[in-house]
Amino acid sequence: MRIYESAVKKPVTTALIFVALVVLGLFSFSRLSVDLYPEIELNAVTVMTTYSGASAMDIEQNVTKRLETSLSTVTDLKRISSTSKDNISLITIEFEYGTNMDEAINDVRSILDMQRNYLPEECDNPVVFKFSADMMPIMFISANSDVSSKALYKILEDKVANPINRIDGVASTSISGAPQREIQISTDPNKMQAYGITVEQIANLISMENRNIPGGTIDVGTDTYSLRVDGEFRESDEIKNIIVGSFLGRSIYMRDIAVVKDTLKERSAEVYTNGERGATIIVQKQSGANVVDIADNILKELPQIQNSLPPDVKLEVILDTSEFIKDSIGSLSETVLLAGLFVMIVVLFFLGRWRATFIIILTIPVSLIAAFIYLMITGNTLNIISLSSLSIAIGMVVDDAIVVLENITTHIERGSKPKDAAIYATNEVAVAVIASTLTIISVFFPLTMVSGLAGIMFKQLGWIVTIIISVSTLAALTLTPMLSSMILRQDPKRSKSFMFFYSPIEKGLDALDNGYERLLRWAVNYRFVVISSAAGIFIVSLILLSKVGTDFFPESDNSHIGITVELPVGSRVEQARKLNEYLYDKWTKKYPEIEILQASLGLSDGSNVFMSMRSSGTHIVTFTARLCDPRERERDMFEIGDQMRKDLQELPEIYRYTVSPGGGGGMGFGGTTLEIDVLGYDFANSEMVAGKISEIMKNTKGLRDVKLSREDYMPQFQVMFDRNKLALNGLTMTGAATVVRNRINGVTASYFREDGEEYDIVVKNDIAFRTTVDDINNILLFSAQGKAVRLSEVGTVIESFAPPSIQHLDRERVIKVTGTIFKRSLGDVAADVTKETEKIEMPQGIAVELSGTIEEQQESFTDMLTLLALVVLLTYIVMAAQFESFRDPFIIMFSLPFAFSGVFLALWMTGTTLSLIALIGAVMLVGIVVKNGIVLIDYINLNKERGSSVKRSVISGGKSRLRPVLMTTLTTILGMLPMAIGLGEGSEIWQPMGISIIGGLTLSTILTLIVIPSIYTAFHAGDIKKRRRRWARDLKTVKTA
Amino acid sequence: MKAVMIIYNQAHNSLVTAALDKCTVRGFTKWPEVQGRGSHKGEPHYGTHAWPSMNMATLAVVEPEKLSILLAELKAINDSAQQQGLRVFVWEAESAI
Repeated sequence: MRIYESAVKKPVTTALIFVALVVLGLFSFSRLSVDLYPEIELNAVTVMTTYSGASAMDIEQNVTKRLETSLSTVTDLKRISSTSKDNISLITIEFEYGTNMDEAINDVRSILDMQRNYLPEECDNPVVFKFSADMMPIMFISANSDVSSKALYKILEDKVANPINRIDGVASTSISGAPQREIQISTDPNKMQAYGITVEQIANLISMENRNIPGGTIDVGTDTYSLRVDGEFRESDEIKNIIVGSFLGRSIYMRDIAVVKDTLKERSAEVYTNGERGATIIVQKQSGANVVDIADNILKELPQIQNSLPPDVKLEVILDTSEFIKDSIGSLSETVLLAGLFVMIVVLFFLGRWRATFIIILTIPVSLIAAFIYLMITGNTLNIISLSSLSIAIGMVVDDAIVVLENITTHIERGSKPKDAAIYATNEVAVAVIASTLTIISVFFPLTMVSGLAGIMFKQLGWIVTIIISVSTLAALTLTPMLSSMILRQDPKRSKSFMFFYSPIEKGLDALDNGYERLLRWAVNYRFVVISSAAGIFIVSLILLSKVGTDFFPESDNSHIGITVELPVGSRVEQARKLNEYLYDKWTKKYPEIEILQASLGLSDGSNVFMSMRSSGTHIVTFTARLCDPRERERDMFEIGDQMRKDLQELPEIYRYTVSPGGGGGMGFGGTTLEIDVLGYDFANSEMVAGKISEIMKNTKGLRDVKLSREDYMPQFQVMFDRNKLALNGLTMTGAATVVRNRINGVTASYFREDGEEYDIVVKNDIAFRTTVDDINNILLFSAQGKAVRLSEVGTVIESFAPPSIQHLDRERVIKVTGTIFKRSLGDVAADVTKETEKIEMPQGIAVELSGTIEEQQESFTDMLTLLALVVLLTYIVMAAQFESFRDPFIIMFSLPFAFSGVFLALWMTGTTLSLIALIGAVMLVGIVVKNGIVLIDYINLNKERGSSVKRSVISGGKSRLRPVLMTTLTTILGMLPMAIGLGEGSEIWQPMGISIIGGLTLSTILTLIVIPSIYTAFHAGDIKKRRRRWARDLKTVKTA
Repeated sequence: MKAVMIIYNQAHNSLVTAALDKCTVRGFTKWPEVQGRGSHKGEPHYGTHAWPSMNMATLAVVEPEKLSILLAELKAINDSAQQQGLRVFVWEAESAI
């Protein structure tokens, strides 16, 4: 018994199987967590090695080079790059996508273990860092305060960070920008000199004074008492009154030689939110936790937390990554629902029957819900990719059901009982339905095998569509006949009111049929005109291709702009503060779209991994601007970003700046960058070439923020001690250096404890005595005999420049020249720049390479073309097997060029660039487009086998298949329409796919309906003659025998 | 005794069985898939791509008095859907064991 026969005969079983499927699907749906993208394992590890005191060159030669050479033997290595700076070597090893990172890290570790012995003695052990997307903070909360600002850190830690930390799924919270308390002892070197006291002595004394020591136990009578000496300071004021020594019989108190301040740390990161100084609380999630749930919980807790805070402390959420996720997911869900509605209207329009429409529409939820089961079993999330896959599939899932139902209806109209009609009619079309499903699967299944970044994006798409389409076919072969046998009637009555609306539609459809028949008759007779003009259209469309630019990923507006402004290296933090105030005033007035403008400046305190990864320094100001909803503003973030660049351009004191709309980095977000690598060992030559390239890039249209990766030389003061003179004074190099450090940087003498918290007690020269070179020269150095000498007597302070960091790419020295693309396609910009750079005369040993996004783009475009070839071959195989012919699938393949013409045309008309997403759309078209051809040729063949002439078969076959073809095409097109229009935040990513599929499918369907019959006639015109001739020949051989 | 050979489109399966039951014809022999085509207008039933439908054949031996009722029933079925095709041939069944 065949599957559809049993389905019709056992309606209860069939119905319940699908009910179970739906229930299981809904259950999975309720368990799915929501995220923006499928889980992406970042394919890079960083090896950090510190070698104190070594210069960038030393590091490069002794550490980086050695490690790089051995690390480059790791399997699946894609790229190895490094930066050698003073004291630190950073090597980043990038692996191919899809590499098992655990194994890769083990490999890296074992190599490092092996190399450990060959590294310089004083060099620390190399540390391996693995970065993952989970390390990205999910929420930034800013805290502003007025009078409580001094205690802000403690308030935030106790009242905000800790409660948030307790929320399920939160991995850590850290506070940045809140000044931490510190007890400073600012010494006056002149007074100290007069009394003969050093900073070291004070530090020592404080640590001796500030101590609790248990004194053991003592038995008094029958009791045992413990004995304690509590020497720790109870109040910071006590420090003032410590006696540090005596001079001429008088006690010298701390307050005589130093100022004791219970205050805030001197150098720390400062965070300004909307111009007010405050702190930022950064929330990181545990790996695998649901961002949306965590964010919701935090937001729910926030009012309560706010209530517990002093009234002047205001909390505000600056960045909530879940918002973008929710918006994207929300708009995609709308897209799916809208697509479903469109499909329903199309089906009702063509069939004009409620029951039939219901049966067909039912396959949509059944098959879509099956995708949720897959997502849950594989541990995936509900994300942009999976939802888009649903939206792509929705127009296609009804196709099989339409074909089956159409045939059942024909049988019923011819007089079969619904039950028998359901079985036998399904039997007739089962093979064709399965074949057309196989063509779709042969397009989407290979997507699951794509490698690289595209692979991560499209693996889920491939699986989901394959599963949905398979389930829809299963439903079409079981559920549809079963329901048809139950609820379809022989001659169903249509109500008068329904007919009022529907009869004009029906008449229109009939007229369309007849018009098409006439057109086809003409096309078949003038087939060479038709074929050659179609070829002409294709060739013209190829010209369009050159007008369509290429991009890797479409840019999307996520309402964030990241800005980094650098003052000349070494600028004081006050300068940065002034700049921040100026820019804040200017920007908030000029761009009312900015909702929140956050700035951070100063040296990061390094307490948070994420913050310390950002480059920081007294001369750097980092801004994050959050704009309002894209629908509520006219300028998009790219335009605003470009305006900001112009503003920054006007300020001469700025050394350089970067404006990255989208917040910089991240997949599919924000601006793309063009990167050119200048490889070569010689510093001077490579710098010269890089300089020329950056000039070219600055002059290229559509490039902004051109920068070189090699930083400027850093100004520094260097104390050069004379070893001989040191030795004469009984000093050592280390001893002298430590003294300098203790005066300028300070020494943490001890910790002041209060309420379970510890605060540093720092001793150093008062700020007034460490601002000039003379202050350094005047530092007193004491020998072991107590003899004092000025630093200027044993050494000199010279001004010098620190060498830049040295970067490597694949073990060669490199300078990266990068630029951000603005309002132009990446492919065009890259082509322009390459053309110009080729003119540069390259010195010996210097090579220039395109890299970054353009490299990825070229790689994945090549991948896509390979995929396209594979998909075409697979569909050909499927069709050849179905028709048992080499010729017919070949004829059907003629609809492909027009599909591509349509893609180019649609992209050109909408001004969209050919991106990876648009290409995927083109690949998907192969499967979708040939479906029409299959339906058409299949029926034409059928007519021919029934004995009609070729022309008559073509014309009557075409006429009878017009409606199914139009119907399945329209459902697919309208299913994609919401995606192509691009509703909601983040939709820009998928827009090119919608546009290319709609364009390709529309043009190819229109042309297929005319051109394919003509080509078919041209190929098969001689068939009957040939058969007669063969018959005559066979007959002759029989007679002569 | 009359041998009644009913050859009909598979789609009539349930109706033919019902007709036999109605006329209390208990015994019959059925071939579920047979091919053929009508003498005049009848479409071929080959189970092929071009002619996907198939016929069924039922051979029943009935008492003469039931014959006319059965034929009437079967004719009604055929009339309900001329295009599907149903033919009945009757001949004498001389003896049976």
